[in-house]
Amino acid sequence: MSESTPAIAVSGLRKVYGTKAAVDGLTLTVPRGCFFGFLGPNGAGKTTTIRMLIGLAPPTAGSIEILGRSMPRDAIEIKKRIGIVPDDSVLFDRLTGAEFLEFAGRMYGLVRAVARERSGELLALFDLDGEPRKLIADYSKGMRKRLTMAAAVIHRPELFLLDEPFEGVDAVGARMMKDLLTAQVRNGATVFLTSHVLEVVERLCDSVAIINEGRLVLERSIAELHAGSETLEDTFVRLVGGERLMEKLEWL
Amino acid sequence: MAVGESSRIRAILRAQWKSFLAQRHAGGRAGRAIAALMWVVWYGLWALVGASAGVFAASASPGMLSIALPWLLLGVAAFWQLAPILTANLGAAIHLKKLLIYPVSERDLFGVEVMLRATAALEVLLVLAGIALGLLRNSAVPRWAPVPALLLYTCFNLLLAVGTRSLLERLLAMKRIREVVVLFIVFCVAIPQFMAAMGMPAGLRTFLLTRSQPVFPWAAAAQLAAGARVLTSALSLLAWTALALAFSQWQFRRSLRFDAAAAHASGASSRAGLARRTGLIIPLVSSLFRDPLAAIIEKDLRALVRAPRFRVIFIMGFTFGAVVWWPMLYQGGARSAAVYPVVVSGYALVLLADLVFWNHFGFDRAGAQLYFTMPVPFRDVLRAKNLAAGIFVAIEVTVVMLVCLIIRVPLGPGIILETYWVAFVLAIYSMSAGNLSSVYHPRPMDPEHSWGRASAGRSQVYLLLVFPLFLIPIGLAYLAAYAFASRTAFFLVLAFDTLAGAVLYRIATPSAVAAAERGREQFLGALGQSSGPIVTE
Repeated sequence: MSESTPAIAVSGLRKVYGTKAAVDGLTLTVPRGCFFGFLGPNGAGKTTTIRMLIGLAPPTAGSIEILGRSMPRDAIEIKKRIGIVPDDSVLFDRLTGAEFLEFAGRMYGLVRAVARERSGELLALFDLDGEPRKLIADYSKGMRKRLTMAAAVIHRPELFLLDEPFEGVDAVGARMMKDLLTAQVRNGATVFLTSHVLEVVERLCDSVAIINEGRLVLERSIAELHAGSETLEDTFVRLVGGERLMEKLEWL
Repeated sequence: MAVGESSRIRAILRAQWKSFLAQRHAGGRAGRAIAALMWVVWYGLWALVGASAGVFAASASPGMLSIALPWLLLGVAAFWQLAPILTANLGAAIHLKKLLIYPVSERDLFGVEVMLRATAALEVLLVLAGIALGLLRNSAVPRWAPVPALLLYTCFNLLLAVGTRSLLERLLAMKRIREVVVLFIVFCVAIPQFMAAMGMPAGLRTFLLTRSQPVFPWAAAAQLAAGARVLTSALSLLAWTALALAFSQWQFRRSLRFDAAAAHASGASSRAGLARRTGLIIPLVSSLFRDPLAAIIEKDLRALVRAPRFRVIFIMGFTFGAVVWWPMLYQGGARSAAVYPVVVSGYALVLLADLVFWNHFGFDRAGAQLYFTMPVPFRDVLRAKNLAAGIFVAIEVTVVMLVCLIIRVPLGPGIILETYWVAFVLAIYSMSAGNLSSVYHPRPMDPEHSWGRASAGRSQVYLLLVFPLFLIPIGLAYLAAYAFASRTAFFLVLAFDTLAGAVLYRIATPSAVAAAERGREQFLGALGQSSGPIVTE
């Protein structure tokens, strides 16, 4: 497939639950080699969008192309080339970290020896090798997130789809994950991430899109944003922030 | 503004009701329909039992009542207290971790817990209601007697069940103690089995059941319900209920103070030890297959072996099974002894069914997302899950054989072949139905809970309604053996059953795959559900 095709191209994407449209006519293009931030307030449709991109939720309408291939038609081929950190835990509690990474590697098509070797290296990189026989059930929240991230990189994907990847991770772990992702982008990979920490997005990303109530309200490069007088936070609050009601809660 | 204690109880029950409704909506429509149908059939059957007991109670003479009613009420107590243990489903329970952060009094929590004990044995409530209605229509029984007597007896059973459950829950949370508890329960279950096999001594029967000595609660409740020896039986039943109340409060309070985290921490090191031991063997087994099948099989074998719930059920299969069916060795002659390994293996499969056939993705919970985000066809996932289940079935049957050897059950090559083959046929039918059920009616399960939280009845639905369907082909093989007096006929029919099972599997599995692909949002939604303030799984 041509390298000139965008990493992600969605058009008219729509997802309806009952009578409510969680995502409503989203059209978005993410070029290859880009660090892309996908922002929005809680319930805006970010996670639903990622779930549609990775094939967990079929769209009600619209088309999705990932790395030049159509989702869901080429789902298996696409999944071989993407790394995923979903919003909730996808770990198997009764495995150790090493066993889970080896499992993930083999599921992505690595031979056992390679999966095992990479698993050991990733555990060391993510500082998870202190207690090798510890089961995931006994991991802290931050450790679980780091392990999920490690599983997402084990097969050297071309595209990362990350939903709140730094949530619950300590400063050291988060720094290491950011460095790793930045290095991947330098090497040609694409990162598509959601985060509520706007400073992080502003520092890491080349471009951002803001979604609110299922609709895209902004798509711009960070450079363009910086050219104006507003910070990303100012822009975000202006576009999605509603009237603050705290003044009405006299009892608080 | 402060709220009263009853408001808190209402709030807990309302939150649970909302969670229950949300969970119902999370499953697929077909799954919900099947579950509802099973529910109606199962409780319909028990309503029929209750109605029959009512008809009997309405027409029985005082003499007949004095003999039969204690037996009936003993059966009620036995079902209430033992069925949850035998089926490894202790019923719904308060989610203490979620509720202890709120200012809820122990009394409130205890009150909810007592009400929840009814969930472990809804069946016998139907029977008790039938008996009460029947006695009310019996002209020989004073009209004031049945309802208070049976209500008090219900209270006694509820309270006893709270105490037993709290005690069992704590013991089963402790590493090593857990296995001892299971063996102790096996021993307890063995006593009535031996009595059934050898006959209950007449003196003991009189002591347990006669009208003249309302020592035990069932006898006292029976007398009180019939309006006989009112003062003695009422005092006896009240004393038993007070004892049950003290026992239940004591055990419940201890459970509230039980440091689950400490038990969990001590379990963590032993789990690591188990992880090390299984780390060498399991890759050898999975090396028989190719990735991704091998990777999923390996993952499933590791995960199941380390899940306390699976281990307890697996052990029960060959211990409980051997004990429960023990009388066969004494009462049915040589042929009965010859099918003993088959029957024990079948029982073990029934116990394992909920974990390895009926709900493949229960332990994976939200992790089941991986099967849809990784580049593996869902068909391979189901096949791998079935292969892992098959491996455990083979191990379980082998252990049953070893138990048979130890207790000197005659085992020839023919019996060994028969046992493995029958287990294989049962497994293949169970897998076919289980693949569909796992997709249409997925439920998250907590591997840490040694015992299930569903009503004991649900396992029995499987035992009594679904499993017999799978037994029909096996039954035909035995019928052929009997009709033609030929083992060859038996194995020929069994071979045909195997072929039919394979065809069924070939039809059911793609259908399950298509349903999972089509309804993956609902499927994953159902598996990702967390429980409400009351745990029912």
